[in-house]
Amino acid sequence: MVNGHLAIDLVELMAATPWGSVASVDVDGVDEAEFVQRWAAASGNYVLMVHADRVELLRGIPPDPLEALAPERRPGHRLWVYTNFNCNLACDYCCVESSPRADPRAFGVAEFRDLVAEAAACGVRELFLTGGEPFMLVDLDERIRVGVAAMPTTVLTNAMLWRGERLRLLERLPRDGLTLQISVDSPDPGLHDLHRGSGSFERALAGIEVALALGFRVRIAATLGDDVGDGEARLRSWFDRLGLAEDCLVVRRVARQGAANSGLVMSRSSLLPEICVTADGLWWHPVAAIDPAMRVSASWRPLAERIGEVSREYRGYRLAGEIAASSFPCA
Amino acid sequence: MGNELLIGAVAYSANAVPIWEGMRDYFRDTAEPIDFVLFSNYERQVDALFAGHIDIAWNTNVAWVRCSRRSEGEARALAMRDTDRTFQTMFVGRSGSGLSSLEQLGGKRVALGSRDSGQARILPLHYLAEAGVAGDVELVIFDSDVGKHGDTGRSDLDALRSVLDDGADVAAVGINTWHGLTAAEDDSVTGLEVVWESPRYNHCNFTALDKLDAARSDRWVDSLLQMDWNNPAHRRVLELEGLREWKSAELSGYDSLIAAMEEQGIYDEW
Ligand code: SF4
Repeated sequence: MVNGHLAIDLVELMAATPWGSVASVDVDGVDEAEFVQRWAAASGNYVLMVHADRVELLRGIPPDPLEALAPERRPGHRLWVYTNFNCNLACDYCCVESSPRADPRAFGVAEFRDLVAEAAACGVRELFLTGGEPFMLVDLDERIRVGVAAMPTTVLTNAMLWRGERLRLLERLPRDGLTLQISVDSPDPGLHDLHRGSGSFERALAGIEVALALGFRVRIAATLGDDVGDGEARLRSWFDRLGLAEDCLVVRRVARQGAANSGLVMSRSSLLPEICVTADGLWWHPVAAIDPAMRVSASWRPLAERIGEVSREYRGYRLAGEIAASSFPCA
Repeated sequence: MGNELLIGAVAYSANAVPIWEGMRDYFRDTAEPIDFVLFSNYERQVDALFAGHIDIAWNTNVAWVRCSRRSEGEARALAMRDTDRTFQTMFVGRSGSGLSSLEQLGGKRVALGSRDSGQARILPLHYLAEAGVAGDVELVIFDSDVGKHGDTGRSDLDALRSVLDDGADVAAVGINTWHGLTAAEDDSVTGLEVVWESPRYNHCNFTALDKLDAARSDRWVDSLLQMDWNNPAHRRVLELEGLREWKSAELSGYDSLIAAMEEQGIYDEW
């Protein structure tokens, strides 16, 4: 039985806490933490964070930060899957340290089927397959077909492997509901080859031509580092000449993850989550899929519960952040 | 600043400001806009009402009885919370105490709250007298929030702690405190249980004196009664003030308190 003093302390504490402010209650064990959560839900207060020894409560029920997000930005709208971690390249900024020598950690077809079925059932609307280089897998087409049958699917690729058997694999893929997102970091070999390897720019361009000729929807994705200079503007003019739709260019910054030793610093509290599944578990975001601090759980099952956990955690960070910001002292 | 109705309220918690700013926002677009003044205690507020410094006082039941008496019955109760019509005092003991009536409290230690709290002191003494055990109980007094008429709930909680710590056998507390404590609907968690619950009585009301134009107070009450639990902006204020719906005033529920204050000789002053 939970100590009666805890309930009394709670009533007193929250009565004295101004609306919209945070209070912290010390708890001794799981029973007390659960009691505080039940009490908060029933008394019109909000649980911000549950720690091992205390629960942070917000006085009152705040507007849900998730509601403020566009539907396609909410956790659980998109699902990322790392099909494998090995790659024909070894880019110096690769956020998951992929390379030809990396352990493939391939995501098996049977498990992929289960995952996509659960994802569709719990409201996931867009699927993204990434790696490593997904086309390293000679049975990638099976996964792509499973994905496309369930929802719009994008495959991230460096577009360098489409020859021989892998070209035939590409040719067999469905066109409807599939986007190939191809990495190009600069409009010339300069920065692209510097970070991604000599000759990789020319082969990526050739890959883009192959994909377009075969009737695939192509999106270009650039990853830019500190050395970009005027590269972004030049890249955009190059992109304009390709004649693709405006929304077919994605530009992002290098993240300080994996092989990158500079770039944007990522943490769960500062990064809008995009649920990501790998052979090693479920992660906060695909840009940080080998960072232990960003792993949410060792298993993605049951997916709906995992999405709920991530949503709750994100909500807690947002609310805590907004409260901290709203009380930022000017002097 | 124009001709707003000036409402007085006691700042019994940090949330008095958001409550009354919310009320002011709500009334801004009505026929009778308001402004508010916060007092540190009900006695000061009642004096301000009689001095004409405020038009309407948001009064406890004890403050209302005093206003009514001081105005020789001319004070008007304009409106109240739904929860003010169904207020109760709960006598609470330790789970498994075997106590289930006031008559069993003879020889027991009864923890009471502040001397100006209707729910935690004045009415409990009245109920104990009615049960014939008033002279036969040992009172354990917690005068923790004098001036606020028990609004802070502080003395109720101190009394309950004394029961848990075996400093008293039973504590008398307002039903709002008891509901707060048992919000999780898990009585066994608290280690406390209700020994006896009082009949319902009235708690707070908006009090005006005769000098406030009745047409103005009627228009104001009409707008007040239209606050809507389902409107998020109204709901925050209603939740903080502890109601779902404003009601017109109903006076018969003050009879027990009037009798109690008369018996205890605290009708006019402490
Ligand atoms: S960034 Fe992409 S192409 Fe480069 S090594 Fe990593 S997975 Fe391979």
